[in-house]
Amino acid sequence: MKQLLCLCALLIFTQNGHAQKKIDYVEYDLPNGLHVILHQEKTTPIVAVSVLYHVGSKNENIGRTGFAHFFEHLLFEGSANIERGEYDKIVESNGGTLNANTSNDRTYYFELMPSNQLELGMWLESERMLHAKVNIKGIETQRSVVKEEKRQRIDNQPYASFITEIFKRVFVNHPYNWVPIGSMEDLDAAQEADYVNFYKTFYVPSNATLSIAGDLDIAQTKEWVQKYFGSIPSGQAINLYRDFENLSDEDFKKTYSLDKSAFDAKDFLNSRDPQAKKLIAKELSNPTKINRPENYKGKMTTVIKDTVYDNIQLPAMFISYNFPNESNPDFYALEMMNDILSGGNSSRLNKTLVEKKELAVNVFSFPYGMEAGGVGIFGTIGSNGANLDTLLLEFDKQISTIQNELVSQEEFEKIRNQKENDIVSSNSTIAGISENLANNYVYFGSTNRINTLLDGYMKVTKEDIQRVAKKYLTQDARLILYYLPKDNK
Amino acid sequence: MKNLIIILVALFPALVWGQIDRSIRPTAGPAPTINIKNSEVFKTSNGITVILSENHSIPKVSFDLVMDSDPILEKEKAGLANIAGEMIKSGTSNRDKDKLDNEIDYIGASLSADQNSIFLSCLSKYTDKGLELMTDILFNANFPQSEFDRIVKQYESGLKAQKSNPGQMANSAKSKANFDNSHPYSEIMTEESLKNISLEDVNSYFKTVFTPKGSYLVVVGDINLEQTKELVEKYFVSWDGPAAYVNNTLKAKPANGGQVYFVNKPGAVQSVVSITYPIDVIPGSKDEIGMSVLNNLLGGSGFGSRLMQNLREDKAYTYGCYSGFNIDENGSTFSAGGNFRNDVTDSAITQILYEIGRMSKEAATDEELELIKSSMAGSFARSLERPQTIARFALKVTKYNLDKDYYTNYLKNLAAVNKDDLLLLAKKYLSAENVNIIVVGNESIINNLKPFDSNGKIEKLDAFGAKVVEIVAADITADKLIEKYILSVTESSSMKSAKKKLKKIKSYTKISELSAEQIPFPLQMTDVWITPNKEGNKMEAQGMTFNKSYFDGTSGGSSSMQGGKVKLSDDEIAKKSKSKGLFPELNYSTSGMIYSLKGIETIDGNPMYKLEYSDGESSNIDYFDKTTFLKMQTISTKKQGDEVVSTEMTFSDYRDTEGIMMPYSVSLAIGPMILVGTVKEIKINEKVNLDSFK
Repeated sequence: MKQLLCLCALLIFTQNGHAQKKIDYVEYDLPNGLHVILHQEKTTPIVAVSVLYHVGSKNENIGRTGFAHFFEHLLFEGSANIERGEYDKIVESNGGTLNANTSNDRTYYFELMPSNQLELGMWLESERMLHAKVNIKGIETQRSVVKEEKRQRIDNQPYASFITEIFKRVFVNHPYNWVPIGSMEDLDAAQEADYVNFYKTFYVPSNATLSIAGDLDIAQTKEWVQKYFGSIPSGQAINLYRDFENLSDEDFKKTYSLDKSAFDAKDFLNSRDPQAKKLIAKELSNPTKINRPENYKGKMTTVIKDTVYDNIQLPAMFISYNFPNESNPDFYALEMMNDILSGGNSSRLNKTLVEKKELAVNVFSFPYGMEAGGVGIFGTIGSNGANLDTLLLEFDKQISTIQNELVSQEEFEKIRNQKENDIVSSNSTIAGISENLANNYVYFGSTNRINTLLDGYMKVTKEDIQRVAKKYLTQDARLILYYLPKDNK
Repeated sequence: MKNLIIILVALFPALVWGQIDRSIRPTAGPAPTINIKNSEVFKTSNGITVILSENHSIPKVSFDLVMDSDPILEKEKAGLANIAGEMIKSGTSNRDKDKLDNEIDYIGASLSADQNSIFLSCLSKYTDKGLELMTDILFNANFPQSEFDRIVKQYESGLKAQKSNPGQMANSAKSKANFDNSHPYSEIMTEESLKNISLEDVNSYFKTVFTPKGSYLVVVGDINLEQTKELVEKYFVSWDGPAAYVNNTLKAKPANGGQVYFVNKPGAVQSVVSITYPIDVIPGSKDEIGMSVLNNLLGGSGFGSRLMQNLREDKAYTYGCYSGFNIDENGSTFSAGGNFRNDVTDSAITQILYEIGRMSKEAATDEELELIKSSMAGSFARSLERPQTIARFALKVTKYNLDKDYYTNYLKNLAAVNKDDLLLLAKKYLSAENVNIIVVGNESIINNLKPFDSNGKIEKLDAFGAKVVEIVAADITADKLIEKYILSVTESSSMKSAKKKLKKIKSYTKISELSAEQIPFPLQMTDVWITPNKEGNKMEAQGMTFNKSYFDGTSGGSSSMQGGKVKLSDDEIAKKSKSKGLFPELNYSTSGMIYSLKGIETIDGNPMYKLEYSDGESSNIDYFDKTTFLKMQTISTKKQGDEVVSTEMTFSDYRDTEGIMMPYSVSLAIGPMILVGTVKEIKINEKVNLDSFK
């Protein structure tokens, strides 16, 4: 009977085919290196304007952790043409909304605007890219705001420090050693030179992807892209221009051995002074450089056991394994393996640890794939009075099963269906689409991956799942991190 | 291909730098038309209202079945609804839980249930299968004992975890602060109440609440009207059940002055603050759009609100500070707050109250109002991207009988809101004076919160919103405490001299003046006492006697304007006869009083002895100051019919009156009424005539 059922299900599957909706887009590079992606979707009269800067906490220097995220806050402070506090107001008073977020790998800004305010959204983002402006009051305010964010999201929440604690131990000698929120001391240590260098290094068009989606006209949008972003200088000329705007006459001269007055403030790049012309030409062809070490080491090579004492009532346990980069082809299989173990109520870990053995209140896991490394995290909060050693034992049994036996046909079909559902749901808003387009371009070098993602999962076989379980869920190199109530210390 | 594009781009005129003046902000294009798609609404023969919002942009569909039952008071079983909601997916007579979970996950669907609804979301190609599973739990849920035991165990753990979650702790405190304990919203599951819940309770809850009568089925997504009708016919019309449960006693607890509720979270680095109170408004009220503007101005979702600008952008007290009206058919509330580091918690409260107060004093500027209205119009337009929004609109219009064009006219009505409207609404719905101030945080900051409490008495709550009683064992016995009390009030050094002194007092007359916020004029109260146990009491105002009572040693009674005359029962007379002396405490051991010393409780930072005593009729607690031994408070609870009436008396301002320490300030709290009394005069050993009290 079971086999028959499976067969029927398979039939249904092939009949209906996959339900992924194709996303059409155009993409191109501007001469200054900015990558542009445009997607038209006219259902609702709104547009999403987003810029992804390829800079995250992994680009921070030791002693300045948390800087990328702090800087993200500062970039809402205004520009040469936008007063402090105006940025949000301009967006909101024109019916839009805005926000940003920073990960280990990138910083992402977006505005959602009524479609007739697309040009305004693009102007705002181009201002941020060309000449953002920050004053002392802004710096000090945002420094405190970020610290409050850290207290609210991490320090004052039970278990919320687990990512920080895991990364600290899994990624040794690796820029994922710390997380985007950083440390309070480092936030305090930031100096003026840090802001200037960070902006000059990472906030340049060649390090950015502009992704616009929604109710737009492609030709018109391209024109505006050219107007607002095409006019941003290439190479180091952008920083020459920023220095021209920000430095005193004296400092400018010290840096460039040329008077500011040699330049035309209204038409900077077309300044007529021969020396200015020469300098501009030189800086235009002088590329900005970002140091991106490719192969980080710093993986776990042994079993690490440790305990964190937190303001909690129930003990918890987090097991972490070395995973590959998210662009590694094994990642598809790892995600499907993860669904077998903890996706949905019928998943193996939920059925055993939570429902049958009643050792845990919940269990969750996620394959944390990043650009330069990955970690597979399995977390579980123990039931009242449960023994963590028993919990670990039962967890390991499940790991050993998935390594030693092929998953059943029924389970396999189940996770395929779940993946299909997930992917269909992921592109249901234009905000989601513009972000997915940019991510696929930056992390996977293929914007079109947004359309082929499901195929990637559908290619995974049962054997692949077993293979990656064996390869990555290593008993001899993993982190076992306990969380215990502070009173137990 | 990509390279070709790059080349083409490179061929454009190299730079257009000089042509753009960046200081000019782009202006808006012509405003787009905003279309709200129609929803289909139809009713089934068994009482379900079906609302369909079609949207074929992605091949998914959802069904949300929502019951119409009012919340049910659970009393000692608080949390029953949560357990019942959790149990719904525990298996059916056709499928045990494992099978059910498997089949749901197999089609990649999400099927969830709570105390009042069941929700299905799946790919549209699996609609039939999804509905089969959804209705299987609706019709055939069989609530197995083993699952019940498991879920109760999970909740035991969950309640434990709740003690470390500051957000949940604040919510519990809010519920208790804003709602009367007769309102289900005031009920919070505790370890104690969880124990009282049985599987039968769950069964009967489900039967009471899950009925087609009055229910709503909201269908959204890749499905058309014809398909919907077919599926509803196939799956839902055979369902039958009683009328939806109606609860008519949903009382809020109006805030009166500032009341601080503090919940201790050991080790907290931030305080969760919520300034909150109940408001009188229902969904669909004509004030609703204006209130929404008002709230967005004060502390809605944007960065531009007054709270956000003041507390985040100017003072950097917080990552975010927000306010909100929660408009609910069963009890609406206002709240404002956020998370603030320990040392600025009090400053943050000051600023929030300032901003709330400013709303009804200063009109919004034109710029502010325009900003808020544009931002709301934009947010309205953006919300239309989700088909769920359209369905939500239709549900609200149907459920609350709103004008059919309510949402079509929304933007027009929004544009019409003006500054004067906002001032009026602020006066009606916002108060900086009558507020509950909830703080979940580190105990080290509690003293900074005192100024916000009108009577300086911060109420400490535990993680579940229950009053915290901090009690330690007493260092003396009950009889010794009574002795110390007598010595203290008689200002004597030995019991012998105390009794001698008391013997000399044959009678007294005490006249006090009482005032209460609910009564526009002061009341005069006269108490008399004649040794050993004759007494009289009367309450007068403006030449009228409201209430009088007496006991003359053998008989007694009372009369009031509303109640007429009532004689004391034999039982009462027997009790009164036994209670002798100016301080009946001296006779507790012989008068049949059951009394015991419970320990030392700290009230508002002052350690007090807690003496419990009962004469069988009423239960009482007296609090005596640990240092002076004077009586500071009496709480009496007495059953009157089905109701328990509690009276709280607070004593202070003790003064020497012919050798006896008497309190000259007595306040009396009966239910929501607080009478504040000042003693005007005490006459000792003057002639007293009980007749005027009869």
